[in-house]
Amino acid sequence: MDKKPVDLSLLYGVLEEYAAVKGSLITILQNTQEIYGYLPREAIELISEKTGIATSEIMGVGTFYTQFRFEPVGKYLIMLCQGTACHVNSSELILQTIKDELGIEDGQTTEDGLFSLKCVACLGCCSLSPVMMINEDTYGSLTPDKTKKILKELREAAK
Amino acid sequence: MINLTINGKAVQAPEGSTILEAARSAGIYIPTLCYDKAVEIYGACGLCVVEAEGIPKLLRSCSAKCSEGMVVNTESERVVQSRKIAMELLMSAHDGDCVAPCQLNCPARTDCQGYVGLIANGEYDAALKLIKNKIALPASIGRVCPHPCEKACRRQNVEEPINIAQLKAFAADMDLKSDSYVPEVMPATGKKVAIIGGGPAGLTAAFYLTIMGHSVTVYDMMEKMGGMLRYGIPQYRLPKEVLDKEIAIIEKTGVKLVNNVKLGVDFTIESLKAENDAVIVAVGAWKSSSMRTPGEDLEGVYGGIDFLRAVIKGNAPEIGEKVAICGGGNTAMDACRTAVRLGAKEVYVVYRRTRNEMPADKLEIDEAEEEGVIYKFLTNPLSFNGEDGKVKSITLQVMELGEPDASGRRRPVPVEGKTEEIPVDSVILAIGQKLVSDDVKELELNERGNIAADQDFFTTSIEGVFAIGDATNRGASIAIEAIGEADRCAKAVDAYLNGQALDTRVPYISKRDESTIDYSDREKKSRINPKVLPADVRNKNFDEVSLGFTEEEAKAEADRCLECGCREYYKCKLLSVAQRYDINPERFKGEMPQKYSHDENAFIERNTSKCILCGLCVRSCREVMNLSSIGLLGRGFKTDVSPAFSLPLDETNCNNCGLCVQLCPTGSLTEKFNLKKQVPLDEEYTEEFVEIDGKQSSVLVSRYNGKILRVIPNDEISRNSGLSRAELQAKLK
Amino acid sequence: MRIVIGQGSCGIAAGAEKVRKALLNTNINAEAISITGCIGMCYLEPIVDIYDDEGKLTRLVKVSENDAEAIASFVESGDASAVEKLVVSDEDSEFLSKQTRIALRNCGIINPEKIDAYVEAGGYTALKKALCDMSAEDVIEVIKTSGLAGRGGAGFPTWFKWNAARQSEGDEKYLICNADEGDPGAFMDRAVIESDPHNLIEGMLIGAYAIGAKHAVVYVRAEYPLAIKRLKNAIKQATEKGIIGENIFGSGFSCDFTIKAGAGAFVCGEETALIESLEGHRGMPRLKPPFPAQSGFWRKPSNINNVETFANVSWIINNGGEAFAAMGTEGSKGTKVFAVTGKVKRSGLVEIPMGKTLKDVIFDIGGGMKTDKPFKAVQMGGPSGGCIPAELIDTVIDYKALGATGAIMGSGGMVVMDESTCMVGMAKFFLDFTAKESCGKCIHCRIGTKRMLEMLERITKGEGKEGDIELLEELCYSIKDGALCGLGQTAPNPVLTTIKYFRDEYEAHIKEKRCPAGECSDLIEYKIVADKCKGCTLCARNCPVNAISGTVKNPHVINTEKCIKCGKCYTSCKFGAIVKE
Repeated sequence: MDKKPVDLSLLYGVLEEYAAVKGSLITILQNTQEIYGYLPREAIELISEKTGIATSEIMGVGTFYTQFRFEPVGKYLIMLCQGTACHVNSSELILQTIKDELGIEDGQTTEDGLFSLKCVACLGCCSLSPVMMINEDTYGSLTPDKTKKILKELREAAK
Repeated sequence: MINLTINGKAVQAPEGSTILEAARSAGIYIPTLCYDKAVEIYGACGLCVVEAEGIPKLLRSCSAKCSEGMVVNTESERVVQSRKIAMELLMSAHDGDCVAPCQLNCPARTDCQGYVGLIANGEYDAALKLIKNKIALPASIGRVCPHPCEKACRRQNVEEPINIAQLKAFAADMDLKSDSYVPEVMPATGKKVAIIGGGPAGLTAAFYLTIMGHSVTVYDMMEKMGGMLRYGIPQYRLPKEVLDKEIAIIEKTGVKLVNNVKLGVDFTIESLKAENDAVIVAVGAWKSSSMRTPGEDLEGVYGGIDFLRAVIKGNAPEIGEKVAICGGGNTAMDACRTAVRLGAKEVYVVYRRTRNEMPADKLEIDEAEEEGVIYKFLTNPLSFNGEDGKVKSITLQVMELGEPDASGRRRPVPVEGKTEEIPVDSVILAIGQKLVSDDVKELELNERGNIAADQDFFTTSIEGVFAIGDATNRGASIAIEAIGEADRCAKAVDAYLNGQALDTRVPYISKRDESTIDYSDREKKSRINPKVLPADVRNKNFDEVSLGFTEEEAKAEADRCLECGCREYYKCKLLSVAQRYDINPERFKGEMPQKYSHDENAFIERNTSKCILCGLCVRSCREVMNLSSIGLLGRGFKTDVSPAFSLPLDETNCNNCGLCVQLCPTGSLTEKFNLKKQVPLDEEYTEEFVEIDGKQSSVLVSRYNGKILRVIPNDEISRNSGLSRAELQAKLK
Repeated sequence: MRIVIGQGSCGIAAGAEKVRKALLNTNINAEAISITGCIGMCYLEPIVDIYDDEGKLTRLVKVSENDAEAIASFVESGDASAVEKLVVSDEDSEFLSKQTRIALRNCGIINPEKIDAYVEAGGYTALKKALCDMSAEDVIEVIKTSGLAGRGGAGFPTWFKWNAARQSEGDEKYLICNADEGDPGAFMDRAVIESDPHNLIEGMLIGAYAIGAKHAVVYVRAEYPLAIKRLKNAIKQATEKGIIGENIFGSGFSCDFTIKAGAGAFVCGEETALIESLEGHRGMPRLKPPFPAQSGFWRKPSNINNVETFANVSWIINNGGEAFAAMGTEGSKGTKVFAVTGKVKRSGLVEIPMGKTLKDVIFDIGGGMKTDKPFKAVQMGGPSGGCIPAELIDTVIDYKALGATGAIMGSGGMVVMDESTCMVGMAKFFLDFTAKESCGKCIHCRIGTKRMLEMLERITKGEGKEGDIELLEELCYSIKDGALCGLGQTAPNPVLTTIKYFRDEYEAHIKEKRCPAGECSDLIEYKIVADKCKGCTLCARNCPVNAISGTVKNPHVINTEKCIKCGKCYTSCKFGAIVKE
């Protein structure tokens, strides 16, 4: 997917609020990702300039936590739960179904930019396992058929 | 002060000291790989663990504080096991070669990469000295060695191996041209050693034992020293003048050489034993092996080494116009090419397999063919047929290749009923050689009829008598095998003479998995061979075929070296800790965390595949230099040390202070040498002082063979001076 | 008349918000419709509680938006027949009635978004009592009497930590709540924050008072957006009421409150890593000593407890330490919350007094297995814990007793497994987790967990060799001894316990290249039982590699050479005609 040009002015407010507050790097990065959908290099360089934290340290933090991304993601970010209950209830089948349906692997985005797939740590909805979150919405008690249906509906909705 | 006990020893330590500090000040060693007083305590490596009475957990001594009455054990079984596993795990993820494969495959462990690299830099003198640490006769061996080093050379995965043997001959020839290097001899020990046999094994042992200060005499049955090098290798391959010069250098160290005396006739092992503190038997294998083929006893059938020896001594037999040589090894090549030079018109080499399976050196096989030798592959003599007691023809059984045998080569099997007969005037059997066992009847022999000698200590059935080379164990092999044994035997004899124990354990070293190495980014450069005499000229005389490397050729060829061995080998902290524990990282063989990668600027080279994530570089760059040019990227097994955005070091704010390199416990970050071609060398480090802006500043200077290799800033002033390495070096007195 | 819809994350995921919107579209008075958090009967979500004017409760379960009209008619007429099918069964009601709720006492009952609801339920009285009537030492004494121990897993006495932090010198101290509930299969803390955030705030403020901290910080994992939202809202409300801030209840005690969201790193559940993360760094554990009580957040004395620990505090202050200590066993006092999931019939949150048995939780409350396969083991304590086999089902819930099995009490995740779960596969699952979550600092954890995972992968692929079990054990013990932090030190537990109790399963994989549970795809073959196959062709149509052949209404056959063992046929077959061997 092509990256859109990064409008750094969107970040000024965040930096104004947090740049001088010590220990705020993760918060700043979370806000930055909220704005751009990922952490653009230009933004990291600006954060470094404003906070005085070296870019190597920012990248160190950014790559340590699974929440952060350095590439734009699709319109729908599928977060498939990898928790124990989901594992016991065959989340592997759901993963395979998503991979087959979308033709992408974990961490990849479909060519049309619609879906990104990310396997994540336990979402804490164990009673509904297997579970996935797509953007803000949680989908539980998944079966391969149900999963296919959800993806189909989202694809329709995006048209 | 706090009183505590470490390993049973009462130790006092100031209030607030860590156990590590207390142990160090008491001279007790505790390994660490991530600790340095320049930076904050980190606790990553876990090697500094110790056990303290009453505390169930192992303590990291770098952070655990001493307390009054504490009883600490730094070497308990549990502690050692923890360190051992830590090192096994660490080494299972450390993708690097301590030592280059060429050196490892050399039976004498000659530092091939070292001297090849020195030659590439034009440091011929240093190269020769390095070679002479292992090989006493390098000009000779360089010419005749079948070079197992080259078989292991990784350059062959790009195109062809480095011409290591010829480079060795080149460095040695350069040395012979002027004042030859004679190593310094250590003070006399007063111990006497007698060596029976003046071949490569005997002379090598004599050379090294003499350097160690022992008084050595070599006894040999022939009129001149050199053994098989002199009497088994034709002049066109090894001019005897070269051998003479090299033996003269050995003699200069003080070795006494006695010729024309024969074991069993002029003396016995026991008689030498009575007059010496130790005896080394290195008599070689001087009898040609039989093929057990009918007609071998006919006139005109010669043994390979007997034939070669006769020619060298000037007693060449009448071989006629048609000569068949049986065998496919280097002796067969020597025999056939000698036969050509003696004027034979049709020279056949009869070999039961094909060209691909021939054990002889490929170059020899080709050069022999150029000289007119005719190969009879897939044939095996059934009988030598004679008339009036003289050989007239050979009947050959035609063979074909079947299933692979134990050696991996396809086994030749007879094609039933298919034979061939070729008329010959003489036959030379070059299929092997054996010990004349009657000569050594004082010693116990093994089931093969060779002297039984210990693999590590070279001891025999008689106390104080050692045996090496072709006469022992598995029998005749190549010269460099015997030389390797001789070198190790010299150490064993030295230990014996001094009444010391000899450590024969092979120290652990890290080796890369060959199957994972990628050569695709290497530029192809063809192997350079020394020029040779034209085939139609050389086949008529015994002049040396090879003309040797010119300086230009040698440098260019040496420059092809891929530099497999690690430059930090001699001062690698990781390796020194690994070698303290009996580790076997193979148990945990698995994925490597990082791809083998490479980034360098003018001074510093980074190779993250060797990184052990001790964090010293990242921490010192941040805490001491306040630069954070590099940081940790990612997490867990795949954590990488890298500049932000994986930029090359040159595109960061790195000021080349070199602190990270200095603290790196392994070869992940290295300071480049002041040499064009990088070579692993056993440098000597000294701290020296330079004046920077009117202030005295410390630098570390490494030298090798008198030449400055690296100048590394060693304090705040030099690190922040912004001076380049060359500028710092210029400031040295 | 009140209509309350359970809106925890799982309720919402099950459709609770759709139900709420549908109900708002009926003629029910919108003001009567409100929300609550999670009652813990997750398997029955969405749940709608209807209280009549006398406060009598009718609980409807597994409600969908299509039921809205029926509910409206019930609300209007009071005639329960319209919603008969939705009313919770007596059996399911036992799921709650058999529990003893302290930490969860308000969950699923009060509205988590309204401070008044909490106050009405008796909230903040304990705080007031502590601040106005008790000294900090008194508070610590009550907690000591209660026997409350850290509910995050380690079970360290809470009073001891509080006391250590109190004794630490320095005028600036921090009280930190670890809400980085990372154990896969555990969601007690999420439920508490989503359902009763003020209870957490109250507990924390009492703790802050006890240790002398003026700053309280909650570190919540990023995967819990709803919890963060509700907690932020609660902090805002409490601040507005003067419960957070300067001179609380006129006691002279002041405390501010901040939330920091984690960013996805399990290791941040380890207290020193959590502190690193709070400071905006990579969450790599620090060496101990110094301990956080001496030098923690910003190198100041700090105390860290988890959510459930704090959730007990206000109850203890109000009811006395003795009341809490009256429940439980000699060494483990009070109650413990478990998130019971997996192959159990009734999954959800269970809070019971210590001293009950695993059987009580899994069978009596959880209703036993949801499949027809027998109970095999229960995994406790997540990646730091272990698998307890069926024969130890009578083990008492007690820190020591559970520890003796090789598992741990842990934070409360209980994943129930039946015979279809491969125990080697289970160990591999957890090692895959810890290897991914290892911060990479120390050798034993960084490389050791990776190598263990690789060994387990080999074994489950049928490439195991003689000596692998012993090598795994050797590595396990060494990692326990050598790893820097709790993550690494406990990472071998799932391997050790499965080897301890299911060694025969490991041996079957290694020696016979067989997976007794039929889960390891490299070691099984799918076959069609001809007698059962109706020839519906569904399997053949689902097969991604066309390995199944057959004609309509005739038994099909799987070409095992072509089969990639994806299991799609197995799950698609409606007649149970496909078997794993």
